[in-house]
Amino acid sequence: MSLYATAVKKPITTALCFVAVVIIGLFSLTRLSIDLLPDIETNTIMVLTAYPGASAADIETNVTKIMENTLNTVSDLKDITSKSKENLSIVTLEFEYGTDIDVATNDVRDKIDMIRSVLPDNSDTPVLFKFGTDDIPILILSVTAEESMPGLYKILDDKVANPLKRISGVGAVSISGAPEREIQVYCDPQKLEAYNLTVEAISAIIAQENLNTPGGSFDIGSNTYNLRVEGEFTDPKQLNDIVVGVYDGRTIYLRDVARITDTVKEREQEAYNDGRRGGMIIIQKQSGANSVNISNEVMKRLPAIQASLPSDVKLGIIVNTSTNIENTIDSLVETVLITFIIVMLVVLVFLGRWRATIIIIITIPISLIASFCYLLISGNTLNIISLSSLSIAIGMVVDDAIVVLENVTNHIERGSAPKQAAVHGTNEVAISVIASTLTMLAVFLPLTLITGMAGILFRQLGWIVSIIMIISTIAALSLTPMLCSQLLRLNPKHGRLHKIFFTPIEKALDALDRGYARLLTWAVHHRAVVVISAILIFGGSVMLTKVIPTEFFPTQDNARIGINIELPIGTRTEISRDVALRVVKEFQEKYPEIKTLNFTVGQADTDNTFGSIQTNGTHYISMNIDLLSVGDRERGLLEICESMRQDLKKYVEIKTFKVLAGGGTGGMASQASVDVEIYGYDFATTDRVAKEIQQAMEQMKSCSGANISREDYIPEYQVDFDREKLALHGLNVATASSYLRNRINGTTSSYYREDGDEYDITVRYAPEFRQSVEDLENVLVYNNEGKGIRIRELGTVVERLTPPTIERKNRERVVTVTGYVAPGAALGTLAEEINAKLKDIEIPSEVSVTLSGLLEDQQDIFFDLYILAAMIILLVFIVLAAQFESLTYPFIIMFSLPFAFTGVFLGLAVTGTPLSVMALIGLIMLAGIVVKNGIVLIDYTNLNRERGYSITHSVIHAGRSRLRPVLMTTLTTVFGMIPMAIGTGEGSEMWRPMGMTVAWGLSVSTLITLLIVPVAYTIFAKNGVLISRRKRAKNQ
Amino acid sequence: MKAIFIAFDQAHYEDVYSILTHDNCRGFTYWQDVQGRGSKSGEPHYGSHAWPSMNSAILTMVEDDRVPLVLKALHTLDESKPALGLRAFVWSIEKAI
Repeated sequence: MSLYATAVKKPITTALCFVAVVIIGLFSLTRLSIDLLPDIETNTIMVLTAYPGASAADIETNVTKIMENTLNTVSDLKDITSKSKENLSIVTLEFEYGTDIDVATNDVRDKIDMIRSVLPDNSDTPVLFKFGTDDIPILILSVTAEESMPGLYKILDDKVANPLKRISGVGAVSISGAPEREIQVYCDPQKLEAYNLTVEAISAIIAQENLNTPGGSFDIGSNTYNLRVEGEFTDPKQLNDIVVGVYDGRTIYLRDVARITDTVKEREQEAYNDGRRGGMIIIQKQSGANSVNISNEVMKRLPAIQASLPSDVKLGIIVNTSTNIENTIDSLVETVLITFIIVMLVVLVFLGRWRATIIIIITIPISLIASFCYLLISGNTLNIISLSSLSIAIGMVVDDAIVVLENVTNHIERGSAPKQAAVHGTNEVAISVIASTLTMLAVFLPLTLITGMAGILFRQLGWIVSIIMIISTIAALSLTPMLCSQLLRLNPKHGRLHKIFFTPIEKALDALDRGYARLLTWAVHHRAVVVISAILIFGGSVMLTKVIPTEFFPTQDNARIGINIELPIGTRTEISRDVALRVVKEFQEKYPEIKTLNFTVGQADTDNTFGSIQTNGTHYISMNIDLLSVGDRERGLLEICESMRQDLKKYVEIKTFKVLAGGGTGGMASQASVDVEIYGYDFATTDRVAKEIQQAMEQMKSCSGANISREDYIPEYQVDFDREKLALHGLNVATASSYLRNRINGTTSSYYREDGDEYDITVRYAPEFRQSVEDLENVLVYNNEGKGIRIRELGTVVERLTPPTIERKNRERVVTVTGYVAPGAALGTLAEEINAKLKDIEIPSEVSVTLSGLLEDQQDIFFDLYILAAMIILLVFIVLAAQFESLTYPFIIMFSLPFAFTGVFLGLAVTGTPLSVMALIGLIMLAGIVVKNGIVLIDYTNLNRERGYSITHSVIHAGRSRLRPVLMTTLTTVFGMIPMAIGTGEGSEMWRPMGMTVAWGLSVSTLITLLIVPVAYTIFAKNGVLISRRKRAKNQ
Repeated sequence: MKAIFIAFDQAHYEDVYSILTHDNCRGFTYWQDVQGRGSKSGEPHYGSHAWPSMNSAILTMVEDDRVPLVLKALHTLDESKPALGLRAFVWSIEKAI
């Protein structure tokens, strides 16, 4: 018993089976989490090795090189890059996509264990660190405060960070910008000297005074008591009264030699929100947690948290990634709904009967909802890719149902009872329905095989569309015949309204049929003209490729801008802050689009996780700008960025700056850039080449700015001790330098405890005594004899420039010049221009220059996709050849393919869209979609010939009678793509090229296919007849 | 006793069956898939790519008085759906066990 016969016989079972599928699908939908993109696993591991006291060059030779040489042998390694800074070596291992990162981590750990003994003795144990998309903060809150400012850190830590950390899924909550309390003991060096005291001595005394000691337990009578000495300070003021020594019989208190202030840490990162001082709370999620759920949960708790804060502390939102995700997903859901309605209208117009329309349309929600089960089972999320896959599939799932319904209707019109008609009608087309689904699978299943970055994105697309196609075919072969048998009637009565609406449509369609038949008659009699003009059209469109630029991924307008401003190295925080505030003021006046503007300035503390990963320093300003969402402003993201770049250029005090569209979160959202990597050992040579390339890039129109990765040489003061003099005084470098450190940096002598929190008690020179080189030279170093010797007598203080951070890639020193693509220009163009320019720049033989960055990824992916396209075309050919059991017919059908490219090139050229990965995927999908029309035409022409018509007559008759189904399936697909192609919602930049490619390619190819395929068929068939006649003549 | 051979488009099966039942003709032999072509008009029924529809055939032996009733009903059925096709042929049965 066949599937459709059973389905028609058991309508209740069939209906309920599909109801069950829908229920399971909807259940899955409620369990699915929402995210922007499919999970992109991290593929990098960082190895951090600290070697205190070593300079960048020392680190490079003694740590980094050894690490690189060993780690280079780990399997599946793509690139190995490193940074050697003062005290720290960072080796970054980038693995091929799809590598199991846990296995890789173990490999790396094994290798590190092997070389542990080779590393310098003083170096710390290397630390492994995995950084992936999960580490990008999902939420950044702003905090402004007035009178509570000094205690802000504690307030935020207790009242905000701790409650937020308890939300499940929240990873780290870091507070930045809020000052942290510290008890400062500021010593006066002269008084210290006068009383024969040192910073070390004071520090030790404080530590000894600030102590709780358990004294054991003892028995009194029948009871046991514990003994304790509680010496810890209960108030910072108690520090004043500590006795630090006796001089001339007089007791010296700490207040006599130092001033004690209960204040905040000296150097810290300051945060400003909309120009007002405040703090930032950065929330990161745990790996694998759902960003949208977490940020919704945080949002839900915020009002309660706000209520518990002092009235002057206000919380706000700087970055909420979930808004972007939700808006994107909402606009996609909208697209899917619009597509659904459009497809329904197309079907209604062509069929003119609402019952038939319902039968066809019902397959859409069923197939789509069923795909949610797949998403849940495979652990995926609702994201851009899965939802746009749904949108792509809508136009195509109805095709099978249309074919079945059309044939069943034919049977009914010939007099069959609906039940019989449903069984026999479906039986007749089942094979060709399955074949056309197979061609689609031949396109979409290989998509699941793509590797690399694109693979992560398109695996889901491939699976979803394949699954939807399979389900829609099953529905077309069971549900559709069942519904036909239940709903369709012979010659249904039409109402008056129906006549008013459909009579003109019917007339127009009839006229179209007649017109097309006439055109086709002319075409098959003027085959040469048609073929030549087709070749000309295709040739012409190939010329268009010259004007179509290429890019990797379209830049997404996520309404976020990140700006990094660097002032000359060593600029004081106060000055940087002043510049930042001026920039903020200008921006706020000039760009009404800015919703919130927040910046941080200054050195980040080491316990601020997020802050310390980013580049920071007293001269470094990093800004986060949140714009109004796309729909609410006229200027685009890139336009605003460009204008900001022009503004920033006017500030003379700024050394370099970066304006990153998309907030610099990396991935596909950020602005495209070309990296020029300059390999070479000698700093001076590579610096010169880098400068030249940067200057050349900045002059290019397609480049909106260029940065050099190598940082400036850092000016610093060094104390050169004279070892002989040191030895003479019984000192060594370690002792002398620790004296210096304790006076300038200070020493944390003890902790002051209050309400369960600990605060550092730091002892050092008061700020006014450490402001000049002289102050340094006057520092007293005491030797074992208790004699004080000034630094000036032990050595000299000199200013020096130290080597910058040494960056290496694949075990060679490298400098990267990054050029950002200007708005309107494409990645490919810039790369070409740079390549051309590189020829003019004189590059020494020991230096090599290569282009990389996004461009490298782009070339990799494009290459993958071209291979894939070739494979898909071959697979489609195989499916077709199997269906027709012939090599000629598939060949004829393949004539539609070049014109799909014609349509795509035309579309890209007309709309000025660059050829991106998304467009290329659209192109690949076309390979499966466009041949469908050819299949329908050829199949019916063959049928006519088998029925005994002449070749010409068969071709014309087939064309005429298949025009409507062809137009209908094409229009459902094309209109299905249009909402995607013209979408303006948030995130629509991403899939717009894909929708546009399919829409243009399919329309143009269909129009030309309708002529070229019949003409090609005539040519081949007539030749075939001639050949067989000749053979027969020979044999006779 | 008369033999009636009915060749018809598969879609007619239920109608033919109900005619036979209605006229109290219990016994018959039924071939579900047979191929055939009409002498004058109508589409061939080959079950092929060009002519996908198929015929069925029923051979039934009925009492002589049933023949006109059955033929009349079959004729009406054929007239109502000329595109499908239905033919019936009658001959005498000489002996039966």
